[in-house]
Amino acid sequence: MAISFLKRGEKKQKQSASARKWAISLTLIALAIWAFFTYFFDKTPDAVQSWFQVWLPPSTINESLVWVICALGLNIVVGYAGLLDLGFVAFWAFGGYTAGWFMSGFFHQVNIHFGSMSAKVIPGIHLSFWLVMIIAALIAGFFGIIIGAPTLRLKSDYLALVTLGFGEIIPQVFTNGENIGGFNLSNGTKGISPIDAIGVFGKRLGPFDLGWKFLIYFFLAACMVFVSLRIRGGRLGRAWLAIREDELAASMMGVPLMRTKLTAYAVGAFSGGIGGAVYATHVNGIFAERFNFSISIILLAMVVLGGMGNVWGVIIGALLMAWINATGLPAIGDTFNNTFHTAINFPSYNFLLFGGILVLMMLFKRDGILPEARLKMISHENDDEAANTGGH
Amino acid sequence: MTKLNRFVSVVAAAGLAATALVAGTITSADAATKTLVISSDLPLQGSSFDSNDSTNKAIELYLKSIKYKAGKYTVSFKKYDDATAAAGSWDAAKCAANAQAHVANKNEVAVMGTYNSGCAKIIVPVLNQDPKGPMLMVSDANTNPGLTKAWNPGEPDVYYPNGVRNYARVCTTDDNQGSAAAQFAKSIGIKKVYVLNDTQTYGQGVAQAFTTEAKKLGLTVLSSGVAGDGWDAKQSDYTALFTKIKALEPEMVYIGGIFDNNGGQLVKDKVNVLGDNTAVKMMGPDGFTGYPDLNKMPEAQGMYLTFAGLSTDLLLANDPKGAGASFVKNYKKAYGKDPVGSYPLYGVAAVQVILAAIAKSDGTRKGVNNAVFSGSGISIPAKQSVLGKELKISTLSGDTLAKDITVEVIKNNDETTLKAWTVK
Repeated sequence: MAISFLKRGEKKQKQSASARKWAISLTLIALAIWAFFTYFFDKTPDAVQSWFQVWLPPSTINESLVWVICALGLNIVVGYAGLLDLGFVAFWAFGGYTAGWFMSGFFHQVNIHFGSMSAKVIPGIHLSFWLVMIIAALIAGFFGIIIGAPTLRLKSDYLALVTLGFGEIIPQVFTNGENIGGFNLSNGTKGISPIDAIGVFGKRLGPFDLGWKFLIYFFLAACMVFVSLRIRGGRLGRAWLAIREDELAASMMGVPLMRTKLTAYAVGAFSGGIGGAVYATHVNGIFAERFNFSISIILLAMVVLGGMGNVWGVIIGALLMAWINATGLPAIGDTFNNTFHTAINFPSYNFLLFGGILVLMMLFKRDGILPEARLKMISHENDDEAANTGGH
Repeated sequence: MTKLNRFVSVVAAAGLAATALVAGTITSADAATKTLVISSDLPLQGSSFDSNDSTNKAIELYLKSIKYKAGKYTVSFKKYDDATAAAGSWDAAKCAANAQAHVANKNEVAVMGTYNSGCAKIIVPVLNQDPKGPMLMVSDANTNPGLTKAWNPGEPDVYYPNGVRNYARVCTTDDNQGSAAAQFAKSIGIKKVYVLNDTQTYGQGVAQAFTTEAKKLGLTVLSSGVAGDGWDAKQSDYTALFTKIKALEPEMVYIGGIFDNNGGQLVKDKVNVLGDNTAVKMMGPDGFTGYPDLNKMPEAQGMYLTFAGLSTDLLLANDPKGAGASFVKNYKKAYGKDPVGSYPLYGVAAVQVILAAIAKSDGTRKGVNNAVFSGSGISIPAKQSVLGKELKISTLSGDTLAKDITVEVIKNNDETTLKAWTVK
């Protein structure tokens, strides 16, 4: 005990050094990707370009950043506070529709322009991308508190069911929201498209400025990483971890359970809102069909596979799964078919392969790709005991 | 900091390795001769897989039969999937990624697709802004009117930021189908109708078109709202809905929507409350066609249906020796079964439009698109068209000029073709 107390300060230093290492490396990689796709990609030979189109298209890189932002949000709820959330897609939808409302010609009855790059003559609400980010995060955060409020007294499975319900209700509201007492909230299944272009420093980012969009999305993801890490080390973060590990003990130690859980929902939803708005600008539209239950599940799988509670693990999990979903499986399938002259329809086995990967991970690496140190210790607590008794 | 250095150097090494890997593939790709690529962009996962897979197969078969030639150009075919495992159906993010891929694939000149109108709304604006384009897209199945004509506020111009059109389709739109149904209703002496919709894009589209046309023709529309009353697919019983309708004494109920949205229960409750389909007629759009389950229901007997285009049956019956009939025969010979649904033939028709445009062009994206939207445009003569009659694309809107609708009636547990209907 005494030894561990002595080492604590040293350990903390080590941890922050490791975080800095990760942050610097990821930033360097991001800058390299940005420079490559913005300046050099067009000049590379055709074969290089087509290789990237097959295996790592720039739009997939951008899309996976959307998943990263959302997964980081879910990581706060599931990974930090230990609250199982099966309805995270609802916050994604809120963020997306906020961008749809405030960055398009959808509300054609009015003509409001503020800091937007769209032509002044187009009616609708056209706000600056950055302002919309903040609004989306606040709206989603607000609904995070609304969902949190009735679930305060619930624990584990019951809580998961309520979030599941919320995740089902919100997309339904958007799907059927074409005529709410005569008001068109969401344009129903027709969705809202197109969304205004992003403006940075007076430059309007068109559909082919993927490198610049990447940089913006990376910046937002980096903000979420910063927020996650800073909160985790603080009073609130430690309260979340305490609740995760033992709710009863945490409340005995004076952690206000309700307020702490609510904040977890709010911060997680905040991130989901940003992710949703980024998603809307990435696909240039928002459609209710997208927001189904399986999105919540994939997000949860990203967090669990990557390593619950470990920001870097979750990032890797999200990047990996987003890549497999968007590019990896079809590309591997095509290569396989071309090499062995088969005609196996790989996309139709997507779910089988996905499921298989999940089962294998749980069998052989159930703490995730990069497990969080604390959780690893807890989950291997019994292993050690078993090993010890075996040794005696 | 030494650890950091090591990490960075590992990353750098990985990057170098990737570059080396890339370099290895260069020579093999350059050796290939340049051919123009046409692609299909369809959801190949989820419930629409069978139909779209059949479309891809039909296109491959057709291209083989013409020896991959379009005028003086050789073409090759590339399939894109716009569905993902995560979404389980078409995925907006995948559509956005595909749009980028179409533009980035240098030899690609035109796209056949998409299946879902929502996906087209994402892809078309990107192809439109292609610096070497605009790039042409021809759809076999998008029936949402807003893509080509004034429908919702801002449409269709929002999809063409360049101001030039680059999207065409070979199927008719929802509004034509609704109009044809209303015209047909008047022709059989209906005076009072009640309109229902399934609250989805497609269902509302046809129901709205039906309502508008019915009012124009002087029929009394008893339902309120531009697209009539919505029915909730998740409801287990519609007795209350039809009891309300019964008091208004309609002579026909029009149900705009798809059978999958609890259409069976709806049809059952309609007959239970309003009587069978001879007393009060019932009519639906092509969202109710192609379902053996519906055809076998006693309550569905006598129900009228429309199909946006000519059904494969009608096509074969009209012209048993035509290009369409022989193509269906060849398809069966090659794959051992009939094409699934009626869309595969429309997929081939869309490819015919693309090939004709390539033949007329200078082989560039811009040229191919111009061939469709300028000058005399594209028309496929009746003799070659797999749809059995001349296929002409409007140079202004990109819509097909043929407004053929098939009116069918369910009789003896089967969909039977009543007549072909041309929208006035």
